[in-house]
Parts: sequence; structure tokens; C-alpha cells
Amino acid sequence: MVHRPLNRILLVEDDPDIQTVTSMALGSFGGYTVHVCGSAQEAIDAAPSFQPDLILLDVMMPGMDGVDALKALRELPATARTPVIFLTARVQPADVALYNELDSLAVIRKPFEPTALVETIHGIWARYRAQAD
Amino acid sequence: MKPELQELTEQYSAALREYCARGGEAPLLRAYQLGRSAVGAGVGVLDIATLHQEALVSALLEMLALEESARIAERASEFFAECLAPFELTHRGFEEAHATMCDLNQGLERRLSAVLQDFESAQGEILEQKRMGKLKNDFISVISHEVRTPLTSIHGALNLLKSGLGGELNAQGVRLLDAAYRNSQRLVRLVNDLLDLQRIESGTMTFNMRPVELRSLLEQAVESCQTHAGQLGSKLILQRVPSGVRVRVDSDRMMQVMTNLLSNAAKFSPRGEVVVVEAERAGTRVRVAVTDRGPGVPTEFRSRIFQKFAQASPSPERGGSGLGLSITKAIVEHMSGQVGFESEPGRTTFFFDLPEWRPRAPARQRVAGDTWSTDR
Repeated sequence: MVHRPLNRILLVEDDPDIQTVTSMALGSFGGYTVHVCGSAQEAIDAAPSFQPDLILLDVMMPGMDGVDALKALRELPATARTPVIFLTARVQPADVALYNELDSLAVIRKPFEPTALVETIHGIWARYRAQAD
Repeated sequence: MKPELQELTEQYSAALREYCARGGEAPLLRAYQLGRSAVGAGVGVLDIATLHQEALVSALLEMLALEESARIAERASEFFAECLAPFELTHRGFEEAHATMCDLNQGLERRLSAVLQDFESAQGEILEQKRMGKLKNDFISVISHEVRTPLTSIHGALNLLKSGLGGELNAQGVRLLDAAYRNSQRLVRLVNDLLDLQRIESGTMTFNMRPVELRSLLEQAVESCQTHAGQLGSKLILQRVPSGVRVRVDSDRMMQVMTNLLSNAAKFSPRGEVVVVEAERAGTRVRVAVTDRGPGVPTEFRSRIFQKFAQASPSPERGGSGLGLSITKAIVEHMSGQVGFESEPGRTTFFFDLPEWRPRAPARQRVAGDTWSTDR
């Protein structure tokens, strides 16, 4: 299977301040093209046209939460196999076990160091590529 | 009345009559035994009394015929005394036994009631403790999540500003930003430590135990903490780690333990001094020690150093949550280890002992063709 390089990231996050900090870090330090969605529904609507290489998904969001959002995104042809990293404050062992069951690549715990975020994502992406090849 | 009962009654009556008429031990004994058998066989008390009366009347008539009136009176008196004596004794014994039983019963009731009361009270306490524990865990869980979200923005924004993303600041701006960033880091640590503590106490902290090469783990820990130690003006040095030592631990948790110990040592180490990490075998165990040249642990603080929220001198500069060492202790103990420290002014060593992991020798395989031989 041929993988695209990591260029386009869909950030799904309801908190506007975290949106700013995260997208700034991803854009400035990683040079990624970031599309920010404030809700799960926005992400479901935007994903087919944006065609992300990676989805960064918050869990606690009003309306549809991140877990249900992932299930819905998996139903879309455009994101059926797109790697997902949860970016969340909900990291109790039971939560993490659930994220793993849901076929997510990794979980990044909030709060995180934005300056180290790109490096963390690089590491996760490299492992993902190595396993997939 | 059944025929066999009728016969027994007649024998009893005959024995009574004989005794009433002539007296003597043998008839009395016989009457007594027959009387017991009659009572045992179901002859009622009234029937027994009637038999006694008939026997007495019969004996009286016999005696009257013999005109032995004096003897009649004497015999009647003896008869009643002897007949009533066993009943009287039995009755008294029964009353005494009953009284004793009542006393015992009351005593038992009192004790039982006290035990029940204690049990109910203990049960109530346990339920209350469980309820409070759950409430505390829920509270910490909710608060930490609620705090983490705004903290992600605050800490993230400060982190980006420090990276120079917002442009260059003047000296005062840098000082202010450093103070804000340092304290946001402190809050992040506190929230993370609180969550860890809650996981430890609720038994939900997971441990992925695997045999790990100790040297590489310590090298990794020293490397990852070196920058932080450098910012505090000290240097971490790894010395004397016996080669080939393996320990069965959760690597991430082990890193957490080392980070806690190294960051503490660096915090208390005087600027320009080194913090030494070393390990040595001690029998079946291995000891990892972190030594700094700081002022030492105050004597009055030593007994509670591993307790939650324990800090010898809380200071924003040092920025600890007071939970690090208690978490370290809990993690090490969960991995079958022990923590301790030795301290004097100018030299403090925190250490932990872990069982050295050795692979089991493979069991001897029985190969095809092997046979068991026996000496005969």
C-alpha cells in the first residue's frame, strides 16, 4: 500500500483557544496544512473535500463526542482508513483502552507542549508507516 | 390404654402396693424403676397419682385389717416423703438450671447485641469510607479534566511565546513570561500528579511489566532530564552500573520514578554541582541511587517525606506538588521494590531496590528415545 506523506491535518477541537495554540504549533513548526473543525459534525462535513492525511481528534465535545465522531468518520470513504490521534484530557486507563479498541494510532494527553507536538506526531507517524509497510 | 401400657401400669401398681404394705428397699427400687418406665411410656401424671392413691388405700385397708394403726400413720408419712423427694429435687434442679440458663441467655443477648452494634457501626464506617473515596476520586477526576482544558491553552500559549513565535520580548517581558510558564508547568505537574495519585489509590494505574536492561533505562532517564537539570545549574552523571542487570518493570513508570528523583536532586543541588546516578547488585536485588550535594533533608521532615503533599519548604521556585515522592514510593512498591533515603548536610541519597530479573533456566526437555532407567 502506498502512503501519502503527512501534509494535511484535520484538527477537531471545540475549544477555540486550544484550536489556536495547536494549529499555530502544527503550522509553524511542522509546516502542515491544518483545517480546524469546531465540532464532530463540522469534521464529518469537511473531511471528504479536505482529504486529511491525519486526524487529530478531541474527545469531550458538545453534541457528538470524539469517540462517536471517529465511528462516523470511519463510515465515510474519504476517512475510512485515515489515521487518527486522540488529543484529549480524558486519559483514564478505561478511556485509553477504548481509544485503542477504536483503531486509533495514539493518544496525546492534554495539556501538551505545543513546541514538542510536531516531534511527537512525527514519531507516531514514523511508527505507523513502519508497521504499515 | 394399649395392652402393654396396661400391663406396665399393673406391674407398677403391684410394686407400689407391696411397698406400701411391707416397706423395704427392694420393692421401693422396683416401684421406682417401674414408675420411671411408666412415665417414659406415656402414662400421665394424674394416672400415676391415682395409682399411688390406690396402692395407699389398698395398703391401709390391709393394715386396718391387721389393726396396726400406728404403723399405718408412720408408713403413710414415709411413703409420701419418699415419693415426693425425687420430684422435689428435680423441680429445684430444674429451677436452678432455668435461672442459670436465663442468666446465660441474657449475657449472650447482651454480647450479641454489642457485637451487632459494633458490626453495624464498622459496616457504616466502611460504607462511608467507600462513599468518600469514590466522591474524592470522582472529584479529582472531574476537576483534573476541567482544569486540563484551560491549562492546555494557557500552557500552550506560553510555550509558543517562549519559543519566540510571538516575536522577541524585552528583558522584563522575558522575566514575566518565564514566571508564567514556570507556574503553568507547576500546575500541569500538579494536575498530572493528582491524576496519578487517584489512579494509584483507586487501583486503576496499569503496569506493563517487562524485563528491561537497567543501564539503558538509566541512560535514557539521565538523558531526558539533563536539560532540566542544566536549567537548574546542575549536571547529571551516570556512574557504576553493573552490566547485564535486568529488572522486571513498567518502563514508563520507571522513567516517571527516575524523573521524580532526578528532578528533586537537581532542584536541591547547589549550582555547579553534579547529581550522581549509580546502581549496584545486592544479593538478588539491585539498588539504584541518586545522590545530590544539597543541604540535606531537615530532620523534622524525614518521617513524613513520602507522605502526600509533603514538602520541607514549599517554594514556587522549586515548584513541586508535594506528591512526587509519594507517587514514586507507590510505583516502586507496586513493582516489588522499596524506596529509602540517607541524608546529611551536603549529601543526600534517594534509592530504590528492585529484584534483579534473571531468565529461568529452560527445563530439561525429554527427547524422543529417552528412557527411564530403574535400579532393580
